[in-house]
Amino acid sequence: MTEILPRPQPIEQTTLTMWVDESIWGHRLYDEQTPWLCILEMLCITQSEAYNGQAFVENEYNRLQYSTYPRLYLRNILFNNPQIEAIASEGLDDPERWRMWIEAIASNVGGLSSHNFSYLKTRFASFKDFAEVVKFIQSNAIEGDSNKRWSSRFVFPYGPDCLYEDLRIKGSQITNDRRFFGRTGELLYLMLCRSGRGEAILSHLQRLGIIASEDSSDYKCSKWNKLVVALQPEHDRITTKSSGSPPYLPYVKLSEYERLADDWLKILGCNLPDYDALPHIVTITGLHLIIYILSRAKAVLKELEQPRFILEIVAPRKTIIRDLASDEYQKNNSLPQRAIEHYIRGTIELPEWQVCLESFNPFEDVRDLLQERFAWPAKDEEELDGVGYPEGLLDKLREKAVKRHKQHFAKCHGSWTREIGLSSSRGSRRTRYAPTDTLLRTLVFACVPHRMEFQDFLEKLYQNYGFVIGDKQAEDIISSGDADREDFAANAERLEHRLASIGLLKRLSDACAYVQNPFAVEVS
Amino acid sequence: MSLKSSLCQTSEWIRFLRRYGPIPRNDNMYDEVIQRALRRNKIQPIAFETEYLNELLDNFRAAEPKSVILTGIAGDGKTYYCRKIWKKLGGNPENWNRNDKVHSLELGNKQLVVIKDLSELNPEEKLTIISHVAAAITGQDPTKVYLIAANDGQLIEAWTEAKENAGVVDVQQVIEDMLVEEMHEKEGFSVKLYNLSRQSAAVIFPRILDAVLKHPGWKGCAHCEQQNLGCPIWENKLRLEGTESEHTTKERLTELLELCELNEMHLPVRQLLLLVANALLGHPDAKDKLLSCQQVPKIVEKGKASIASLYRNIFGENLSERRRESISVFKVLRKFGIGSETSNQIDNILIFGVDDPELQVHYEQLVLCDPYYGADRNYQIQQRAYLEGEYAGNRADFLNALQSQRQRLFFTLPSDQATELKLWSLTIFQYAGEYLSNVYKVLSKEHKVSQSIIFRLVRGLNRIFTGFLVNNQDQLILATSGSYSQAKISRIYEEVISVLKKRGESVSIEMDKNRRKPSLVVRLSREVKPVYFNLTLTRYEYLSRVADGVLPSSFSQECYEDVLAFKSQVLKRLACRKQLEGEDEDSEESMSIRLLDVNNEGIASPRPLEIYI
Repeated sequence: MTEILPRPQPIEQTTLTMWVDESIWGHRLYDEQTPWLCILEMLCITQSEAYNGQAFVENEYNRLQYSTYPRLYLRNILFNNPQIEAIASEGLDDPERWRMWIEAIASNVGGLSSHNFSYLKTRFASFKDFAEVVKFIQSNAIEGDSNKRWSSRFVFPYGPDCLYEDLRIKGSQITNDRRFFGRTGELLYLMLCRSGRGEAILSHLQRLGIIASEDSSDYKCSKWNKLVVALQPEHDRITTKSSGSPPYLPYVKLSEYERLADDWLKILGCNLPDYDALPHIVTITGLHLIIYILSRAKAVLKELEQPRFILEIVAPRKTIIRDLASDEYQKNNSLPQRAIEHYIRGTIELPEWQVCLESFNPFEDVRDLLQERFAWPAKDEEELDGVGYPEGLLDKLREKAVKRHKQHFAKCHGSWTREIGLSSSRGSRRTRYAPTDTLLRTLVFACVPHRMEFQDFLEKLYQNYGFVIGDKQAEDIISSGDADREDFAANAERLEHRLASIGLLKRLSDACAYVQNPFAVEVS
Repeated sequence: MSLKSSLCQTSEWIRFLRRYGPIPRNDNMYDEVIQRALRRNKIQPIAFETEYLNELLDNFRAAEPKSVILTGIAGDGKTYYCRKIWKKLGGNPENWNRNDKVHSLELGNKQLVVIKDLSELNPEEKLTIISHVAAAITGQDPTKVYLIAANDGQLIEAWTEAKENAGVVDVQQVIEDMLVEEMHEKEGFSVKLYNLSRQSAAVIFPRILDAVLKHPGWKGCAHCEQQNLGCPIWENKLRLEGTESEHTTKERLTELLELCELNEMHLPVRQLLLLVANALLGHPDAKDKLLSCQQVPKIVEKGKASIASLYRNIFGENLSERRRESISVFKVLRKFGIGSETSNQIDNILIFGVDDPELQVHYEQLVLCDPYYGADRNYQIQQRAYLEGEYAGNRADFLNALQSQRQRLFFTLPSDQATELKLWSLTIFQYAGEYLSNVYKVLSKEHKVSQSIIFRLVRGLNRIFTGFLVNNQDQLILATSGSYSQAKISRIYEEVISVLKKRGESVSIEMDKNRRKPSLVVRLSREVKPVYFNLTLTRYEYLSRVADGVLPSSFSQECYEDVLAFKSQVLKRLACRKQLEGEDEDSEESMSIRLLDVNNEGIASPRPLEIYI
């Protein structure tokens, strides 16, 4: 039995009205935090901890607290600075441009009660150069085409000086409202800590120059990081604030953590040029988080087999595989909700429940039991009128928990599968599992160190992620009569063509093909 | 009486030839079936020289012969090789015909074991054999030598299944390496691997064609009255043969096959035989869509000889679409789009040439002069109707006829007019002619490819490498986005590589020695390994079209990905070069980056930005 850690005491009753999703998956997985933002949050923590020599070391379970960097000068310049381009293209002399711009930004700046942008003048040969650099960094911003508030937009993580936290900024006030850094990155960080692969991952991140353990004046970082440094005044580089209450990850050890970390190491081990590994890390992390959600749900439901995904390799016409892939998608999508309902109902099986029922004051005792187990109902909980018996209380809890679950947690599966390119509704009204080329490329980097026979590759995808693509992995579906062998064989064949068309597969003949990691072999 | 018997004799041969065509049959026992038919009808086999036979015999006759694994796809001649070797080494043909799965023969002090098809063995037999073969290959068992034929899929599967045994794992890896890396031998192992799918169709096709066209079976035709009445089989034979001075059709067909080969589309011998048989005998109204002598008089009488045109048959037009799509040689040849691709000039000649005085000369020379498959009565009637706008319902017929005419022109347009009339615009590969004669053939003669071609390809590469419509062509521009090397738009200027030789840098087109195919080679310095880019026909066409600014979207994605992967490789080597040269990092107080600036002429240049920290 996997060890489950006690939940933190006390919990933040201000933001948490109950403790249900959290006890199964942790505090917390948040649908609006895309996999990219998870990685950024996680990198922020890693940098802060690395600076204290603590990276990926969890001394005491679920006690993580760290420092974060606001970097408000940088963020104002990059994302709250609409005038810069207009000023750069106006026919003015250089000092005049600077003057105009400093005036313009002063009227607009957020999160800084006092500010002085004149340090920039000495760092660039001209205002135009400054504007070019800003434009370049903007063009590489993470999810640059999103329309999020300016304080939730992020520069590409070139190095330690590019990492900062998501904030809510109103006037000169800054608060951490966990709008897009919703702690999923904190959980990811804890998973990596508990995977036992932290040290190896840290050394890769240091090699890439994203994380530095030394003092900021000492580390050798990439020139892109230096470019970002050039936009920040010296004192702002080191300003920090403390993170809030610690996150909670329920399980001490899970094979899911190890697999996640192993895939990180495999992708980082491909030695891709520049920062090319990062998008793949993001994708694979998203995939593992989805697997984590489903496998924990299955554990609660006491279903023994690992999560399964039937993948349609998009066919020009509707196929039986497309139907199966949508059915499977629906099934998996509803798995977490089934899990919490089962979990809540399970209270009846507890000996404590019986004790409560037989007690002098069953309703009150059950209320206390639920409060202890689910942090619900609060003392001043409304809507309990009319609930006069213990089961009614439980039903009420279930109803409220499902409602709460549906607001965010239930959307994680759908949002993340779409985000990483695992699901699609192309050519159909129903969403189904259908991988994009980007995801396929990531899978090859994670699974194929050099080259691998195509059938072996399919088997590996099944073993590692529960992906069913070819007929050999679909034996039970075929024998149940839901599909024919040919349907799955054709699906695998389509994958073969797709991989070949993006240069990841070498075909020797009709009968034999190899999946190749393009960074391990020469282009031919 | 004599006439009738000679007709019959020839028709035996034609009937035999039909067997090679696209008729339904049992594919697995192909060689065996043909052998039986030969014996029964007492026909001389179609014999031509094969690429590796002598080499293989030399191996087995040597003092220390090595085991041989023959792989290849169906129809590459695996069984044929086994049978030939068996006979030449003194094996008894009758034993061979008994169709045992395993044959053996004394070979000096060793025993030669021949397995003509590994997949015929049952799983237990396979396991035993594989471990014996492994012992022979690793030298543990010096008393036996093996000759094994299997297609590559079966081969890999068999070895994978036998993995239990330690020796087997070793050998399996060796075989896999040899297969994927296209090697014949690997040091330390007593085995040779011949992938018959690497035989060049372009080399072997003219031999097959000769063997068929010069076969004694044709002798009877001399006395056949149909010969003068317009027998389409005979007509096709004459056209395929050509004459001493004019053999355009044969040449073009060989060129097409050569291009297939260069574009990584392999055609096995069996498919080439099928192509020849279908070209000669195809007709949509015949039984199994292939003519026999008996059907010829009727076809001629009905005036339907023209749709037996070999130019159509080469693309399987005589077959149903379904059938055609299931036969690889037609699938591959049809990828050229010959018939549906065209130019205004060609279509003008075909359609308006009859009335337009300016086109008259061409029309006479290209259409009228061929009353058989060109301006036959049907074509002229349809053309007239089309031009005068009569019975619009039959437009489709005329468009079909037009398609046949374009196919005919592709194979008959005289070479001296090929440039003027843009022969290759009749295919989807407009640069194919140039690729073949100015790149491939030039390299084959160990000459240098013209600089202007390299410049054009570099221009294409630059446009993809940077994501801007640049015109730079004497330097290869390496740019990144700063974070992602595969980005669509790359604004950060990293380096340029001189196309002309300069301090170890160069971009050139060279012949890859192993594969005998052209490669684009980028050299960064004498110390760093060059980067090779396999320059297939499709990639050549793609880069050329990108360079010229017109790109059909149909084949872009695949090539685009390939080119980006190539870019990554070049960037990787660039990093190596920097490391070797120990390039200094920027000093502490200042650093500079270079952004890509593109001017009005489309010339990209670096614009340095200085930053002081």
